[in-house]
Amino acid sequence: MTTTAETIVAGDGGNRLNKQVKGWPGWIALVAIALVALIIGATRSSGPLTDDDRLDGISQRLACPVCDGESVYESQSPAATGIRQQIKALIQQGAYSDDQIIQYIETKFDAKTQLVPKATGFDSLVWALPVFAGVCAVAGLAVAFRRWKMSPDTVPTEADQAIVDAALREQGDE
Amino acid sequence: MLAASMNGTVGHSILLVGLVCATFGALSTVYGIRTHDGRLLRSTQRYAIGVALAGVAAFAVMERAIVQRDFSLKYVQTVGSADTPFLFNVTAIWSALEGSILLWLVILVGYTVVIARRFRKRLDDPLVAWALVVMFVVCMFFFLLTLGPTDAFARGAEGITSGPGPNPLLQNHILVLFHPPILYLGYVGMTVPFAFAIAALITGRVGERWLTETRRFALFAWAFLTIGILLGGWWSYEVLGWSGVWGWDPVENASLLPWLTGTAYIHSVLVQERRGMLRVWNLTLLVSTFALTILGTFLTRSGVIKSVHAFSNGTIGPYLLGFFGLVMVVSLGLIAWRGDRLRSPGAIDSPLSREGAFLANNVLFTLFAFVVLLGTVFPLIVEALQNRTIKVGSPYFESLSIPFGITLLFLMAIAPVLPWRKASGELLRERLFWPAWGGVVAIVIPLIFGANGLAPLLAFGLGGFAGGSALRQLALATRRQGVRGLLGRANGGMIVHLGVIIVAIALVASTSYTHSSRLILETGQPAAYAGHTFELVEVQKFTTPRSTGVRAQILVDNAKTYAPAITTFTNFGDNIPTPSVRNGIVNDIYLTLESGAKAGSTTAAIKVFIKPLIVWLWIGGAMMVAGTALAGFPGKRRRRPTEPTSAPVRLDDLPQEEPVNA
Repeated sequence: MTTTAETIVAGDGGNRLNKQVKGWPGWIALVAIALVALIIGATRSSGPLTDDDRLDGISQRLACPVCDGESVYESQSPAATGIRQQIKALIQQGAYSDDQIIQYIETKFDAKTQLVPKATGFDSLVWALPVFAGVCAVAGLAVAFRRWKMSPDTVPTEADQAIVDAALREQGDE
Repeated sequence: MLAASMNGTVGHSILLVGLVCATFGALSTVYGIRTHDGRLLRSTQRYAIGVALAGVAAFAVMERAIVQRDFSLKYVQTVGSADTPFLFNVTAIWSALEGSILLWLVILVGYTVVIARRFRKRLDDPLVAWALVVMFVVCMFFFLLTLGPTDAFARGAEGITSGPGPNPLLQNHILVLFHPPILYLGYVGMTVPFAFAIAALITGRVGERWLTETRRFALFAWAFLTIGILLGGWWSYEVLGWSGVWGWDPVENASLLPWLTGTAYIHSVLVQERRGMLRVWNLTLLVSTFALTILGTFLTRSGVIKSVHAFSNGTIGPYLLGFFGLVMVVSLGLIAWRGDRLRSPGAIDSPLSREGAFLANNVLFTLFAFVVLLGTVFPLIVEALQNRTIKVGSPYFESLSIPFGITLLFLMAIAPVLPWRKASGELLRERLFWPAWGGVVAIVIPLIFGANGLAPLLAFGLGGFAGGSALRQLALATRRQGVRGLLGRANGGMIVHLGVIIVAIALVASTSYTHSSRLILETGQPAAYAGHTFELVEVQKFTTPRSTGVRAQILVDNAKTYAPAITTFTNFGDNIPTPSVRNGIVNDIYLTLESGAKAGSTTAAIKVFIKPLIVWLWIGGAMMVAGTALAGFPGKRRRRPTEPTSAPVRLDDLPQEEPVNA
């Protein structure tokens, strides 16, 4: 049976160990393992893409020319089915990159079928505006925190101050 | 019994009665407030009941007309059919524009009468009275729509004895019965907190009390919007045949936008209740959430945006745009008018605090909403300014949603352990240690099973980190309070967080690691793909009164037969694929039949998708709903529920809490 003093000592030891584990060495080990795991995962190859995987990737970037807001990948219309077959045939030829296949499809259907807006000209606004808004938001937050830091939370009135002074006097008397 | 051809006249009459009730309800309530006539204000409930009865009756008459196939009505000629089965005949009411506005109306009048009933003892309180005025005005607008541009009871051409029935995609799955009404319960439910926000601005009682009183309504609406969106994803997965749950379609985006601002609101409202801060911000979020429901409806119901979901044949556009403009002008005008009372009395001491994290969360959700709105309307802007067409689709939204998702998961990991006011580095190191190890485990385990790619692994890691944080909070709460530790906003919120994390991980996994292949099967010769075998048993023909089709019986892994099909609806002619799915805890096997299959043939082409963790989307969704329900119960009480927790109470709130004289 342990005495109370021994229990306190054991408890202190446990707390100290807990503190040591959660100290900087523990965190450094944690970050190191996470980084190594992420690097292994990021550099690990998933193997060559199959024709069907490439077909899915390309058809997800193209709008079905006769549908209401569906991609070639999603649509079950005969037009989308036909485009998928054409893409697959081009992939199987093995001579074209994904971008070349998309360009070919766009030329053939004479339509702007890409679902990814270009990053040039007026269209680039759709990419730039979110970045601009993000920068504004971060700057706004920084300004707000700075202003909050400079201005005190609440300004005590004279009445508040009198209550505090009285309480301090009472404490002093005791 | 009511003659079938009377449906139109009766429907119009009922809608007119509803419009009159809503108009008189609004006018008499305003008059009662102006003249301090308590007796008049207490009679408001009668108008609310009148409005509700009219809305429900109009919906019932239209439902009856469709079920009894009253082809004298133009709307029934559009969505009705002699061959549609009973279930899809019932749901046909919300399968096109006019009926969907009726559905909106019936839910709106339901909320109106619930508000009148819930606050029946305080109908003479100006705050409640003005909130009811706003509800009545919104009801008036929707009654006007149903009598004007979306007149479901208009007479159709003579001599029509059948119609095409609802869109084939809307008569292909049981979820058509649940998804639209549940989504609308959330969408329309956002009107209630908006009405109280406007009432708070008009009365100048912009303190915290109205927030606590409408807290459950906001949570209720948010929960139903969440369920509705998830059911939409499930429906898409089960019906559309492309194996996805979310396509960033404009109609989907229209439901996501108010969800994003609503989610920001249910977080930032905590800062106002606790610290009395962010008053303008919270009001703006509520106004935005309601305005986005109207704008989203305009975008998808006016024909300006083409979508597979959109009903784009009406003249409703200018009405919705006008109403949206009115909402914005009135709301922003009121916020500007009450600017002096909306100044927050406190300050956020440090970014490393609970309120600092909520603020960052709000900025992220609002930015995300901006990105989704921009991507949705950008083709319209280009067309209007440059007279050319462009398309903005899922690759754009997916690439931009990754940084938001990653940052939000990080915030979900940090925020629950942060104290109010200020956190020290030591405290964070102490509280975040084991949750962070949860993150490491969540990276290492998928890595062992062959996962790759930086973004998905980072998402898994942050998901594990955030999950650890939420579990830590729940463990502490239940250790202190037992089962009661699962109740209340903070603890229920942690269960919602766990649900969100599960949904996020499932989305990342299913997007990053889906594989597919087209297989040409021959009877008796199994084909192998991704560790599974697929064998064609037979190709059958099937016929129903409204459709014909072919179905391939596929034996998967020599265990069970699955039957993807292609259905041709006689009245439409389109081929509609019906996928067949083997659900699993780790992977779903999703089969679709390629076009060209012939009954009796010994070969068939199928597409096989291997979809990881899909079932966890629905499990996570269920946890979000359960967590929201638990958050609705009172947790550990420190103060009366209507009492603001913020220290400073503005004196200008106090005298006006008194009801007006009887």
